[in-house]
Amino acid sequence: MARDFITPKGDEGIYHIDTASWRTYKPVMNKDICIECGICLTYCPVNSIHKQNDQYIIDLSFCKGCGICANECPKKAIDMVLEGEK
Amino acid sequence: MNYIELLDKQPDLVTPGTSACQGCPAELSLRSTLKVLGENTIMCIPPGCMAGAGCVGWNFDSGLKVPVHITLLDNTAAVLTGIKKSYEADGRDVTVASFAGDGATSDCGFQSLSAAAERGENVIYICYDNEGYMNTGFQRSGSTTKGSMTTTTPVGEVGKGKEQQKKDLPLIMAMHNPAYLATLSPSHMSDFVKKVEKAKSIKDGFVYLHIFSPCPTGWGFDGAKSIEVARKAVETNLFPLYEIDHGEYKFTVQNKNPKPVSELFGMMKKFRHVSEQGIQEVQNYVDKKYKILQSLVG
Ligand SMILES: Cc1ncc(C[n+]2csc(CCOP(=O)(O)OP(=O)(O)O)c2C)c(N)n1
Ligand code: SF4
Ligand code: SF4
Ligand code: SF4
Ligand SMILES: [Mg+2]
Repeated sequence: MARDFITPKGDEGIYHIDTASWRTYKPVMNKDICIECGICLTYCPVNSIHKQNDQYIIDLSFCKGCGICANECPKKAIDMVLEGEK
Repeated sequence: MNYIELLDKQPDLVTPGTSACQGCPAELSLRSTLKVLGENTIMCIPPGCMAGAGCVGWNFDSGLKVPVHITLLDNTAAVLTGIKKSYEADGRDVTVASFAGDGATSDCGFQSLSAAAERGENVIYICYDNEGYMNTGFQRSGSTTKGSMTTTTPVGEVGKGKEQQKKDLPLIMAMHNPAYLATLSPSHMSDFVKKVEKAKSIKDGFVYLHIFSPCPTGWGFDGAKSIEVARKAVETNLFPLYEIDHGEYKFTVQNKNPKPVSELFGMMKKFRHVSEQGIQEVQNYVDKKYKILQSLVG
């Protein structure tokens, strides 16, 4: 039966590794400074940043802690914080 | 939908956890490309960092949420052609695209790439250029910039890094008269998304996309700076952003006051040993290439 797409899969059967465990530093957004521009989202290699209820938020489940988001944020609203610290 | 909304809302068709290094811009480029190409796509990824990072799957699990084939280092464009033809024979319009390294493109797979381009196959050949055979330990490729320290062009009393200038793959492919050709950088995401959208819309011939992809692990810089390095390559004209739409050349990002390539060289370890004269040689090459491009834009 012809479909609009060629056999895409859901999450089932998708190979993945736990990249969150690689992190030494984790990104933390300072919402007092953030202007919700979305620049960080466009540069995250892991697709960890998304808009939810008009706010950009970081989902840490696969974030590798690379620091690109912090480096690219025009407002310097993201701090890289040592894992285990607040 | 603007490009930020698109990158936010379109489904991510790559496995959430790849083993690409922290801050690898090739991972960003692959995810962004597939967000634009969408679900009606079949991918071909030859051996290299993106295949090695699990994007072609592992032990019966897939690495992408669309069909993906691991090709050989030398036959990616031929495989794209075969897949496209087979679906065409079935009367189905699918996007068939590759995501191949610069080694797989400029050296090993060049014969099949050149042939597919010359035949005008309606496939999208995408090369991510990290300037070397990174997945096997940073060996030099034809696409490596002159002076670069790699494991096959070591630096010491005798060796001074790669001796030859970078092979200009985009211009070589331009001379194949593709239906559409573009250079892309992950630092210029709005431009990036537009070019992939255009590539997807082409139905009358060959498409070649060349993505600049700095490699923090192999080039020796902090992964947080990947986008900064990519941006600097554009600002210095080492990697100008342009497109060729059915023979019409156009700069898509204007660079009125190019920065000296020394600014790029200062950002990473692979150029640390390069002398002023060595930098000047690359600067002259970059300037000459840019003049050629300007004359083609007209
Ligand atoms: C014919 C052949 N020779 C060598 C190899 C080993 N090999 C696997 S990946 C790779 C590096 C490919 O470099 P590139 O295409 O630039 O991709 P990158 O690893 O840089 O992402 C090599 C040499 C191979 N798979 N096939
Ligand atoms: S780039 Fe910075 S200011 Fe913009 S949404 Fe992200 S954290 Fe906020
Ligand atoms: S640290 Fe890197 S992986 Fe984590 S959210 Fe920022 S850009 Fe994405
Ligand atoms: S070696 Fe370089 S190109 Fe390969 S995954 Fe690591 S950062 Fe990316
Ligand atoms: Mg490479």
